[in-house]
Amino acid sequence: MAIHQKVRQIQLVGRKIRELRKEHKLTQVELSQRLGIQQSDLSRMEQGEYRVSLDTLFRILAEFQMSIGEFFDELAQESITPRDVRLVQQFNALPNDAQREVEDFIAFKRSMHRKDDRADSDADSEEESK
Amino acid sequence: MIGEETVEGIPAAFEELRVRGAQAIEAGRLEEAERYFEEAFVWAEQHGESNLLDLALCNRAAAAIDLGRGERELPRLREILMRGADPVNCRIAAYNIARYYELNKSFKKALFYGQIARDRSEHLGRRDWLASSHNLIGNLLLAESFFEKACAEFEQALALSPEDAVVRRALIKDNLGYCYTVQGRYEEGFRLLFESYRSLRRLGAIRYSVLPRVALCFAYLEVGRPARALRCGREALDTIETTGGSEMMKNLLYLLGEAANLNGDLELARNYFSRLQREFYPDAGYLPDFLLAIDVRKLINLKA
Repeated sequence: MAIHQKVRQIQLVGRKIRELRKEHKLTQVELSQRLGIQQSDLSRMEQGEYRVSLDTLFRILAEFQMSIGEFFDELAQESITPRDVRLVQQFNALPNDAQREVEDFIAFKRSMHRKDDRADSDADSEEESK
Repeated sequence: MIGEETVEGIPAAFEELRVRGAQAIEAGRLEEAERYFEEAFVWAEQHGESNLLDLALCNRAAAAIDLGRGERELPRLREILMRGADPVNCRIAAYNIARYYELNKSFKKALFYGQIARDRSEHLGRRDWLASSHNLIGNLLLAESFFEKACAEFEQALALSPEDAVVRRALIKDNLGYCYTVQGRYEEGFRLLFESYRSLRRLGAIRYSVLPRVALCFAYLEVGRPARALRCGREALDTIETTGGSEMMKNLLYLLGEAANLNGDLELARNYFSRLQREFYPDAGYLPDFLLAIDVRKLINLKA
């Protein structure tokens, strides 16, 4: 499973749970009974309106454990946007030394971002200790 | 449960024990509170005062419920409520039953009893009890992801809560601050969470001060500041490792993993997610990989 890359497709999870439930030929009532939650709550969760505890979320995942691989792959595919593809193509088209320069520039930008975050943290520390 | 308050017109010796118990609860010293309430219970038993016996039982139950030992108290609380002999005891019994169901995550049942507690408080004209009832109902609505309704309850609770009930107000602010954050009202959320944290820290209410710390960790993640979230979360983790609290520990290990992940430190993220899996979900070996890959923040309710 290509799981070390970050997949940030949040809303898809609720939709995916609905799809998996249907693939397993379970009604909302049946699945909610297995999970120990109310049908109305499961319905709201599938629609992205209901947040659950970690326990409930992991119970849902355990219910569909056989499908976790598929779950990852689909989400990973859906997380790649046309912009991502274009950027990768443009990067790959560059000569090796130019690619290294781009990588160095990204590393520089990331370090600047961290510095900004640290500066903000110091300001927050002052705020907290008021 | 915080600040289940004093009741007028009862013997001084009995009341003193109850007040000490209430103060211990306010400071988060639940075992000590339970001992005081147990002494009050024995006092009432010796003096054959049935109303006071019920009252002491209700108070002892409040501490026991928060300590996770509420099961045995439930039948007696129901009996007091059904008997309806004393409106004060009925209110406290309803409130405690609601708290029991809340802690056992039966939120709909809890809401039923919470509404009884609120109505009784209104009938008794007790502003402070009304405030704690609104806070309780807010908690339940929050757990059920009715964020707007929960905010309205917390706002009422804050408006009714006495200024000198600092811990209680701080806990309401923690709830409301989290609620605002979930709704994207970050500025208001941060302000309340900081206020809550500062108040609790000043009072030395260490056990409770972790709550706004965890919520702040979440809030920093939501505004895209994972490094700050990490720092905040680590401080909370240090405290929880001393005071205990498995629910909070779960949420915190998840948030720390997410913060490390968003901060680009995948190894640290994996460490936190692996610890979460090892300590709380030993049969779910896939969890670290899943959490590294999927951002479930929008699915998770820290107060559910």
